[in-house]
Amino acid sequence: MALLLGALSIGLILSLLAMGVFISFRVFSFPDITTDGSVTTGAAIAAVLLVDGVSPLWATLAGALGGAAAGAATGVLHSRFKINRLLAGILVMTALYSINLRIMGKSNVPLLSAQTLATQAEAVGTRWLGQTELEIAGFAVTTRDLSVLLVIFGLVVSVAGLLLMFLRTQLGTAMRATGNNEQMIRAQGVNVGNMQIGGIALANGLVGLAGALLAQYQGFADVQMGIGMVVWGLASVIIGEALVGTTDIGLVITGAVMGSVLFRLLVAIALRAGLNPTDLKLVTAVFVFVALVLPGVLARLRARRPAASPLDAEGGR
Amino acid sequence: MTLPSVEVSGVVKTFGEGTANEVRALRGVDLEVESGSFVIIVGMNGSGKSTLLNAVAGSFPIDRGRIRLAGRDVTRWPEHRRAQLVGRVFQNPFSGTAPDLSIAENLALAARRGRRRGLGFALGKARRAELADRVRGLGMGLEDRLDNPIGTLSGGQRQGLTLLMATWRRPELLLLDEHTAALDPKSGDQVIRLSCRAIEGGRLTTMMVTHSMQQAATLGDRLIMMVQGRVHHDISGSEKRRLRPEDLLDRFEEVRRSERLDTASAEVLRRDYV
Repeated sequence: MALLLGALSIGLILSLLAMGVFISFRVFSFPDITTDGSVTTGAAIAAVLLVDGVSPLWATLAGALGGAAAGAATGVLHSRFKINRLLAGILVMTALYSINLRIMGKSNVPLLSAQTLATQAEAVGTRWLGQTELEIAGFAVTTRDLSVLLVIFGLVVSVAGLLLMFLRTQLGTAMRATGNNEQMIRAQGVNVGNMQIGGIALANGLVGLAGALLAQYQGFADVQMGIGMVVWGLASVIIGEALVGTTDIGLVITGAVMGSVLFRLLVAIALRAGLNPTDLKLVTAVFVFVALVLPGVLARLRARRPAASPLDAEGGR
Repeated sequence: MTLPSVEVSGVVKTFGEGTANEVRALRGVDLEVESGSFVIIVGMNGSGKSTLLNAVAGSFPIDRGRIRLAGRDVTRWPEHRRAQLVGRVFQNPFSGTAPDLSIAENLALAARRGRRRGLGFALGKARRAELADRVRGLGMGLEDRLDNPIGTLSGGQRQGLTLLMATWRRPELLLLDEHTAALDPKSGDQVIRLSCRAIEGGRLTTMMVTHSMQQAATLGDRLIMMVQGRVHHDISGSEKRRLRPEDLLDRFEEVRRSERLDTASAEVLRRDYV
């Protein structure tokens, strides 16, 4: 049961990262590798502030802002200096490694004695329930795990709701159109470069937020924690798209959250069943590869038969 | 005397200057378009007609010359800023709309062309009612499909919507770049009818590039023929009204013959002197 709650919590935290990846990869068609660095930036800023005794809410917010700043840097490199999208992300990600080390001052900042959102949630939960352990459906559950999960759930739902509302504003609609057809949105008087900078900043703000929460959940920030995160987020988005299978943004965002949780659960089960943690990133990468290639292969197989639908050939975009 | 809405003076544009693929697309274009005038632009492939439209729209910086729109010098304005003044319909029906966004969302974006975009919802209730009304005016039966992604529509429907988007807020200048060339004849005619209605109804200053001699002869109150990056013919008034497709073809034939002569004589010169 603790395993399940843990997987749910991490899955929900990383769903914020998945939302960020959704914005850069899907909304903007911008393969943004900054993610691997900005998730650590969010964690590093939050961890250092928490150790200094800053209130967890402000520390978390600062982490998100740090991520957003990193994203804005990538956006500026691409739109103002005309650097290729992938390369812009790689440059910022590489620079962030040093910056993250500078922020933390060492490669790992433990949060053992610091007050965090997790300890605050636990305190509130214990006060309400009056006990540190309870039983749900015959399983023993610690109040800590449960209250942390509930707080994270509430947070993710509100962030997803705000994101969805934003994407339906005039500005958000213009951002979606920018990723969809630059020529069209320019003809409507929108500065494409500014939209990209703002959009990639927003995406990495969400990633930084995920990093800040992850650090508080696992009790430390580590300079290596971002490695492979962008692929992780992409896997979640792809699973989510398979689950909801539409282009409605509300459903796609919901799908990304569900995809992240589901993927984390699958990983937890696989690890439990004996998957060597060393192989986890290899397995994730192979999974994303298969998910990207499979629709095209299926479409080709189906195309050999007469009743083929051209919609299946969409592939990984 | 109406003031010129568009003033193009001495505009030069060369693509790929100094390379093997150098193209001297515009070689000094001077053109004034009066406010409310509907100008047809014709010319052979590579004569610079689309380049002229793109130069006015600001798709690229020009090498020399000035461009004024509605009395303002816009030579240095980027494309998105000129969109305050300019509505455009492109040749490719895919260019003017965002395929994954719904009809309603595309139109809502056009309703704020060139204005600041804030955190108000793109589709309020009042906006929706207005949308349905104006989409019904297209006569394409799209008013019931406002929430469908535009990517699911036909080319003709997309061009009709792009036209509606370009003219949603009255543009100082409407640019139509062979906007029916990619359509089947029937939807092409429909889009032309809609264009004429919008242009006449709003007294819109319009520059329209076309390959169709039929359209060139029957539409507009002025006709410009581009040849090798310059304005070659400029026909207006009663002469334009009398113009028939055959006359245009004759003039094209003339130009072609003189061009062939040019290349032929250049060949002779090269052979004899180089």
